[in-house]
Amino acid sequence: MGIVITVTSGKGGVGKSTTTANLAVGLANLGKKVVAIDFDIGLRNLDMILGLENRIVYDVVDVMEGRCNLAQALINDKKSKSLYFLPASQTKDKDILSKEKVKALIDSLKESFDIVMIDSPAGIESGFEHSIFLADRALIVSTPDVSSVRDADRVIGIIDAKSERAKNGLEVEKHVIINRIKPEMVDAGNMLSVEDVLSILALPLIGIVPDDEDIITSTNIGTPIVTKEKSLSAEAYRNIARRILGEEVEFLDIRTKKGLFATLKGIFK
Amino acid sequence: MSFFESLFGKKKSTASVAKDRLTIMLSHERASCKLPYLDDLRNDLIAVIRKYTKVDDVKISSHNNQTVEILEVEIVLGK
Repeated sequence: MGIVITVTSGKGGVGKSTTTANLAVGLANLGKKVVAIDFDIGLRNLDMILGLENRIVYDVVDVMEGRCNLAQALINDKKSKSLYFLPASQTKDKDILSKEKVKALIDSLKESFDIVMIDSPAGIESGFEHSIFLADRALIVSTPDVSSVRDADRVIGIIDAKSERAKNGLEVEKHVIINRIKPEMVDAGNMLSVEDVLSILALPLIGIVPDDEDIITSTNIGTPIVTKEKSLSAEAYRNIARRILGEEVEFLDIRTKKGLFATLKGIFK
Repeated sequence: MSFFESLFGKKKSTASVAKDRLTIMLSHERASCKLPYLDDLRNDLIAVIRKYTKVDDVKISSHNNQTVEILEVEIVLGK
């Protein structure tokens, strides 16, 4: 029986889909059978980040409405053979999902996959509620800025209220991923630090991903960065995947490696 | 903060301003979020109160002061 991990954030544009894609590939490359589902009905995006947009025939709503069977809708990743993807529907009716249908779908996926990763939509409306409803674990992505941290805090406050686990007296296991941190800005006191964000959100950390232009270029070509060698952000994603599987991995030192000039400048500033 | 700035007392870093603002804002927001039944409770209270009075609104607020949590219900009976 697989577990359900929902990636969520409250605020949009903080890197939920990028995180989902990279962790799904990372977990698949660690030998797990993974299915990534895009729950952002009407605003499908995970397909392009994974580079699978040209292979979509059916989507998650088609499966729920019985227009096709699950096997027809699942798309196998090009490189990671144990990764499958279920795209969001592009219908404009975002209220098309229902709790019963979501449950039927997720339950059947849990039977054949180790990990069901759900990319939640932004906001706290019904789409979010459906994506968190059956979650065993939640990964809350936040960038170190006031709007993102504030929205993350709100989302954390309602995850348990919307989950089936909580109704059975259990808790959803929650972890924070701090995304797009700029070490040089933190050092200068111009960006909230990892410690600041964690003390506000009061949840355990599972990963720190540095701000990295290579993530944009890898999204451009539809290849998640996680497979790249010698990349700090790729290593950050790989480490998160290992931590999800229960391994203890030390957190990366993402501080900028100062050159001699910068060090001198630091002394005289 | 550099040496000269710390010597002459520089204004706070923007990151610590952000942290303070967030901490204050969230302590307010969490109070209302922590009691999800507040809306239902309020509607039920109004229904009961209306049986006896013409009041159609009650104010509910929650406070806490380290040791106890207080739910304050205010019913204004009119002038």
